Amino acid sequence: MLETKITRRVFLGTTAFVVSAPLLASLPVSESKIGLQKILEPGQFFDAKELTVLVDIAEIMIPRTDTPGASDAHVIPVLDALMLTWAGTETKQRYRAFIKQADKLARDTYDSAYQDASQAERVALITELDKRAFANKFSDLSINYRKLKEMIFHIYYTSEEANPDYMLIPGSYKGCVTRAEYKQMVDERLGRVS
Amino acid sequence: MTEIYDVIVVGSGITGGWAAKEFCEKGFKTLVIERGRNVEHRGPEYSDMQAPWDIQNRNLLPESFGEDARYTNIQGKGFFKGATQQFFTDDSEHPISYPEDRPVRWVRSYQLGGRSLTWGRQSLRWGPKDFEANAKDGYGIAWPIGYEDLAPWYDYVESFVGISANKDDIDVLPNGVFQKPWEMSCAERFISDNLAKAYTDRRLIIGRAANITEPTQEQKELGRGQCQARSYCQRGCTFGAYFSSLSATLPAAKRTGNLTVVTDAIVTKVNYDEKAKRASGVTVIDSNTKQERHYHARVVFLCASAFASVQILLNSKSKYFPNGIANSSGALGHYIMDHFTGVLTNAVVPGFEDRVAFGRRPIATYIPNYRHEQYEGIDFVRGYGYQATAQQRRNTGTNASSQGLGKTAKDKSRQDSVWRFITIMFGEMLPYYENRASLHPSKKDQWGIPLLHVDAEIKTNERKMIKQAAIDIQEMLEVAGCTDISIDQVPDNHHIQIGDRIHEMGGACMGSDPKTSVLNKWAQSHDVDNLFVTDGACMSSCATQNPSLTYMAITARAADYAAKLLKSGTI
Repeated sequence: MLETKITRRVFLGTTAFVVSAPLLASLPVSESKIGLQKILEPGQFFDAKELTVLVDIAEIMIPRTDTPGASDAHVIPVLDALMLTWAGTETKQRYRAFIKQADKLARDTYDSAYQDASQAERVALITELDKRAFANKFSDLSINYRKLKEMIFHIYYTSEEANPDYMLIPGSYKGCVTRAEYKQMVDERLGRVS
Repeated sequence: MTEIYDVIVVGSGITGGWAAKEFCEKGFKTLVIERGRNVEHRGPEYSDMQAPWDIQNRNLLPESFGEDARYTNIQGKGFFKGATQQFFTDDSEHPISYPEDRPVRWVRSYQLGGRSLTWGRQSLRWGPKDFEANAKDGYGIAWPIGYEDLAPWYDYVESFVGISANKDDIDVLPNGVFQKPWEMSCAERFISDNLAKAYTDRRLIIGRAANITEPTQEQKELGRGQCQARSYCQRGCTFGAYFSSLSATLPAAKRTGNLTVVTDAIVTKVNYDEKAKRASGVTVIDSNTKQERHYHARVVFLCASAFASVQILLNSKSKYFPNGIANSSGALGHYIMDHFTGVLTNAVVPGFEDRVAFGRRPIATYIPNYRHEQYEGIDFVRGYGYQATAQQRRNTGTNASSQGLGKTAKDKSRQDSVWRFITIMFGEMLPYYENRASLHPSKKDQWGIPLLHVDAEIKTNERKMIKQAAIDIQEMLEVAGCTDISIDQVPDNHHIQIGDRIHEMGGACMGSDPKTSVLNKWAQSHDVDNLFVTDGACMSSCATQNPSLTYMAITARAADYAAKLLKSGTI
């Protein structure tokens, strides 16, 4: 039932995507284990409602597993700050537009605002959007989504939480070591050897 | 203002730093004039001690740069990031002129230390054949010096700079005074060994880096330490491990007590005393107040960078030199060169699946020019080499720009991938008289200085090199055992920007004949005895090697000569 709703009402109607694959095939609902984290105060750029949606989407993209997730890495607070120091006019418009588009997708699909949809529904929605955004890169929604995704991933993978083995000062270069030797050298460099 | 110095050095980059050091250490009161702002070594503008999460905007450039058409000359370049943006100049504030269909790139670093803060540090001697090339094939002005003239000065500057390199015993790339070399990765070693088995003339060697691996006592006394394999050099180096004016030459000059540095002062012209028939000093405009002032000295060394020095010379007009000082030959501004590339490759190095690299090596590997001797079927002169690297094993990246979310995407991110070997051709551009820098007849910058107009392009000889370089590297990669070879060759109709390799040279070439060249064998003006130009402008050809080491050797040699003339009262 859900598949049909997304196919016809959301992606055909809103984004002009052509549906060609079964939906929800690749992402178990249980993957994102946290519920929606409602943000109560506005950030420097985004308002509280926008931040709520963004934090949820970022966590769906990069959930906490055996390694930190997007929330652990403070991805959206960093993004909020970057909107003032990095983002240009178009990006600011696109990110805000995407939040509205995500909300409209949720309403068209589930008859509820994005933040009122269930966790399973939100995960399903973003997962399907991700698939289609890369299948058809020319729609406005696709562009907005992919730009936001790139930034969320960039912030996450440049975070301290995502780089536990990062060495500011390696001290030397060795061009041919085994993984075990590498790990030992990193541990020694980072003072993790007892 | 009528301050009088023994020597004025215009520019504080690679060559300006060297001129300052040499003159100060020889006891001469020396004024260094830098058009950019002051930057302190280990000061707040160095970003090398910032982890990725500490760098402003997570190392991204503000999007407003694009919206406001700022830094258009270097947007998209790998060296221009959030952590390095402070060391590059915005061309929207400092425009250059060029023909619409032949754009030129002029990467600049207007600050104390200039581009020595951000240079690539590949420090390669030129070989005897490089200095003989112009005379041999007739292009450009024959060099008035040979390798033997510079060899002791290469020794001299290498000892001070600190070059980590291997003694490869290659004629076209002479050995020098080296510190412990960086090691190759297993993938690079594999390729190097296979090339050595297959060829007698083609070698893959470890790069020669101005990053010290075994600090000498002299280097330690200047506060320089061993390179820590971070490869963050273009952010400035708190360890002083890579050579720059700020880490090495200017501190050496300063400790003599003979150095004066003036920043934010744009030299507009070299002043000429027609009675004495000598340069009397320079005129500057304060970059902030736009007030004009003058400095006087017994000798002027132009070390402002090739294009900038040519611009100053051309703008130094007088009754005696209506077309620019030191330009009785009419050669000033001609023979503009740069290295060029037209071939980039990417190939898989099979094997070594259980191996990775530790640390971040600050230098690439290198295939020196093997085309000095032209064989049957080759219809061009000079040659090319390749900068190359496989220093790190690749990983799978992330799903940032592709489909995939959640745990699955996370788990497959940044996993070990194959080793890849990247090469980029560096060709020798011939010195063509018609490749020229001149002053724009009407356009001026915000300080009222005529814009430099550069009209230069590569020609048929260079296009032929690109074609052959693509054929050669395909063969070499196959012989080396690489797979999945991808070759990106620039089409014949694609304009290659002069300045793209940031190795601008020529414009005030050295030569023996005052009728055809601007400078003599000491990089001294034929026309004005106390005027020297020792940056890239003095180069009569550009060879294939990265040129900074040669600039340094020429500068130290010229300063030694000028100092002798000063002491003897000749100038």
